[in-house]
Amino acid sequence: MPDRTLDVIEVAAKSIEISDPSDRNRDQHLWGDRLVLGLGNIVAWVFPLLMVAIVTQVIIRKFGHNQAWLDDAQWWLYGFAMLTAFAYAITTESHVRVDILHQGYSPLRKARIEIFSLGWLLLPFMGIMVDVMMHYGWSSWVAGEGSDSANGLHRLYLLKLSLPILFFVGVIAGWTAMVRHLSKITEVKFWKLLIGAFPFAFFVCERVFYYSSWWLVHLTQPEINERRISREPFLQDSTLYGAILLAIVFIISYMVARRSPTTVKSSTKGKA
Amino acid sequence: MEFFSLIGEILNLNQWMVLLMFVTFILMLFKGVPVAFALVGVGLLFAMIGELVLDPNSKILSQFIDFDRTRISYIKLFAISGRFFGGVVKNPVLVALPMFIFMGLMLDQSGVAQRMMRSMQALFGSLRGGLALSVMLIGIILAASTGVIGASVVLLGVMGIPTMMDQNYSKEIATGTIAASGTLGILIPPSIMLVIMSDQLAISLGDLFMGALFPGLILGALYIIFIIIYGIINPKAMPLPKNLEPVSMKVVGEVALSVIPPMMLILLVLGSIFFGLATPTEASGLGALGATFLALISKNLNLKVFKDVMRQTLNTSGYIVGIFIAASFFAFILRRYGGDEIIENLISGSSDNPYVVIGFILLLIFLLGFLLDWIEITLIIMPLMLPVVLNLNIPVEGFGVVDNPSVVWFAILVAVTLQTSFLTPPVGFALFYLKGVCPPEITLAHIYRGVIPFVLVQIVGLGIVFYFPELTTWLPAIAYGN
Repeated sequence: MPDRTLDVIEVAAKSIEISDPSDRNRDQHLWGDRLVLGLGNIVAWVFPLLMVAIVTQVIIRKFGHNQAWLDDAQWWLYGFAMLTAFAYAITTESHVRVDILHQGYSPLRKARIEIFSLGWLLLPFMGIMVDVMMHYGWSSWVAGEGSDSANGLHRLYLLKLSLPILFFVGVIAGWTAMVRHLSKITEVKFWKLLIGAFPFAFFVCERVFYYSSWWLVHLTQPEINERRISREPFLQDSTLYGAILLAIVFIISYMVARRSPTTVKSSTKGKA
Repeated sequence: MEFFSLIGEILNLNQWMVLLMFVTFILMLFKGVPVAFALVGVGLLFAMIGELVLDPNSKILSQFIDFDRTRISYIKLFAISGRFFGGVVKNPVLVALPMFIFMGLMLDQSGVAQRMMRSMQALFGSLRGGLALSVMLIGIILAASTGVIGASVVLLGVMGIPTMMDQNYSKEIATGTIAASGTLGILIPPSIMLVIMSDQLAISLGDLFMGALFPGLILGALYIIFIIIYGIINPKAMPLPKNLEPVSMKVVGEVALSVIPPMMLILLVLGSIFFGLATPTEASGLGALGATFLALISKNLNLKVFKDVMRQTLNTSGYIVGIFIAASFFAFILRRYGGDEIIENLISGSSDNPYVVIGFILLLIFLLGFLLDWIEITLIIMPLMLPVVLNLNIPVEGFGVVDNPSVVWFAILVAVTLQTSFLTPPVGFALFYLKGVCPPEITLAHIYRGVIPFVLVQIVGLGIVFYFPELTTWLPAIAYGN
């Protein structure tokens, strides 16, 4: 029966057709998902570009022209693509998990776990990374950091400044994914999201308070040394004021949601 | 406080906290929290416990229990920026990672596997067990392309299972062959697991690729010997096809035609490394281009496929880099608690005999392989094991060329162990991937029975590498000798 066998192989060949990861659950996507996936789909072109850069490098080195900037360009492209990929995989829900027990859970329980892992575990970390990388990129920009090699790719600060932005894209990806999962459990309201991502919301409030007071002091009392501003008493207690700010935001959003149940756009409701 | 002096008699507070970190992590894993999120979450939680609870009270605590302060603070977290930039972004070796993923996906699309299957079956059809041998050979050849075990097991399963069932192979031998040959991909270079291992263990990727080649081929050869012997002992398990086509020159020619393109690709990648024409990173770019070219000439490549391949590359890179970032953050906090030293002392204190210590580590990794994929194991466990292995001072012949030969040997041992772990019932990863593409009449029990002989073959292979470390260092020494 070799003929029949060949048919089987043809069928097999078709069944391993590749799929577009950004097509998964497309009907449930919110604007944040579309933003992250759209960016990712553009950045994906980096890989063929990287391939060409590497091959060009190998070839021109054979002819004795070593281009240091091409070496730098390779890891620039790679680094930029990898961070975008991190956010992309959040939206496509591809981050690996152990699903021995998970696959047997009810959809409700799965959604709860998802909200917990996004809002309480991932988002606070991403928030910290945005803050940390912002300082890192900023100090690189101030120093006008360049390449290690004389004729490499200079303006390294451009790459470093892009890192906090890409982590911020990750925050959008995580936040939107959380909204999507929350809509499977209950009607999405902003105050519910604040609970769903409590540590993250707390962190953001603390940082918002910290930076706005820092700039307030800096602009109103320019005679104080920049390094000393953070020792001002009310900046020392930024955790407390951050908590108060979060409480205010929470109460306001709760009141608003109670008064006018229609303020939350219906587009944030999932179709699942 | 009574409580603290009570538990302090068993372990000191740092050891308790390290233990708790791992327990919390594992609990979250079982709940189905994605690994990367669990790692960062546990890291953050214990950073806060250290900064807000333990450190301010360290004076009181130390009256009851031994405790070294963690000295974690928000400002200290800023140290991860440089670490992150140097480890993940500015890492020329890891550039190979997305390129090899791209190459593997592209090669899957080029249809070379299907063509090899078709022609090899005609050639080996008259030989008992020919079909199993074909699958095995394709697995070995394609191993070069796919570093993701799921991918190669699924590809071979989708192609091999229906044909083998059609020819009335026993379900056990069919599934065993596919699971075993599919997992070879993580060992035989260029595998992306080796790329990450070389980064985490700070050894040359070229050494690791060359070092893995012989053990990989030995395992492949052992598999083939097993299938041939099994066919002789139990011919009913591998019946011959009913109407045989005579083997003509045309058939041989077709096999050659189908095997040459992927072989050329392997030669391009491994050859350019072996002869020093390109670094492994550059070889990955060449391989990606080569695979694109293969897909192009097989007329399977259009813009849609091309886009899908690069988007899948982005997606796969994304979840790998996610664990990368998360594991380095977790390790950062773990180190603040002195966790690296605690684990090092624990492991190296397990025995005075360095080989027993290595065996102990391998057993640990084997068990972890039931729960975690190689990505997590190489990124979380390997960096913790590196100082242990370096301190054991195991004499492995490096022929004066290979740096840290004992680490290269250790890396290959871990690779073979992980591969064995993924095959081992009841929870080996490969078995579940395979079950996913099997028709319903093949049960997990068939798969379990089928892989057991292959697991035994794996253990023999592991033993060979264990007793002859030169197998892993000889080829790199030749390649980089002059």
